[in-house]
Amino acid sequence: MVKTVNREQWLMELYKSAFPAVAKYVARLGGSLEDAKDVFQDALVIYYEKAVAGNLSANNDKAYLLGIAKHLWFRKFNEGNNTSALQDELLNIADNADEHVSNSKVLQYLASAGKRCMELLSALYYDKVSVKDAAEQFGYAGERSVTVQKYKCLEKVRDTVKQQSLSYADFIE
Amino acid sequence: MRTSLNNIKLVDDYLLGLTSPQDNLLLQAKVIINPALNEDIYWHKQTLSLVQQYSRRQLRTEIESVHNQLFTRPEHLSFRQSILRFFKR
Repeated sequence: MVKTVNREQWLMELYKSAFPAVAKYVARLGGSLEDAKDVFQDALVIYYEKAVAGNLSANNDKAYLLGIAKHLWFRKFNEGNNTSALQDELLNIADNADEHVSNSKVLQYLASAGKRCMELLSALYYDKVSVKDAAEQFGYAGERSVTVQKYKCLEKVRDTVKQQSLSYADFIE
Repeated sequence: MRTSLNNIKLVDDYLLGLTSPQDNLLLQAKVIINPALNEDIYWHKQTLSLVQQYSRRQLRTEIESVHNQLFTRPEHLSFRQSILRFFKR
């Protein structure tokens, strides 16, 4: 649904249309601009992941983003209190993004040494780009080449992760 | 595809929940014959998790860049002012 090339523009439009309502809401409840920014950016990550997975039925971006941001704000300022299971499930998506700090060395390594593979895997697994579109985007002859390349990349990254992890004692979760 | 790639496909489909019951049996049989495959499954899982973390970082970087554009570029001055107004007391 969302092509990576247009993603920044898509994000810009969402920012312009939905951030004012979130900022207003957070400000009214005594939060700072930084607070509004934090919850809005987490909400955008959640929204993006739902959008590419085809889990959005509503067309009202603005209302949906405001809804997620309100939940995030609510939880941020009720930490310690028990929030409902549904909310927790929703919000875990955003929280997980910054976990696994111990993986950062491996990620850093992959971002330089295996960038092309990481970009391809990212497009296919995270952005849910179709194999056909990925062929075009990455300049492969056809869907078959992309599929083979995908498995080669998984193998390469897996072996790198394994090798790097065993040399960084802090990696093991 | 060569055997190692076919095994990767099998493991990948398994972890993504795309395998049929027959495929699962096939995978179990392969693990019995070749216990090292269990280790491959573990590292494959780590790989998928790293791809997700990598992708989220990229997305967050893009989001941050959009934020910076909106809060520094002259063409977005009125947007910026309308936001800052909410935080004045």
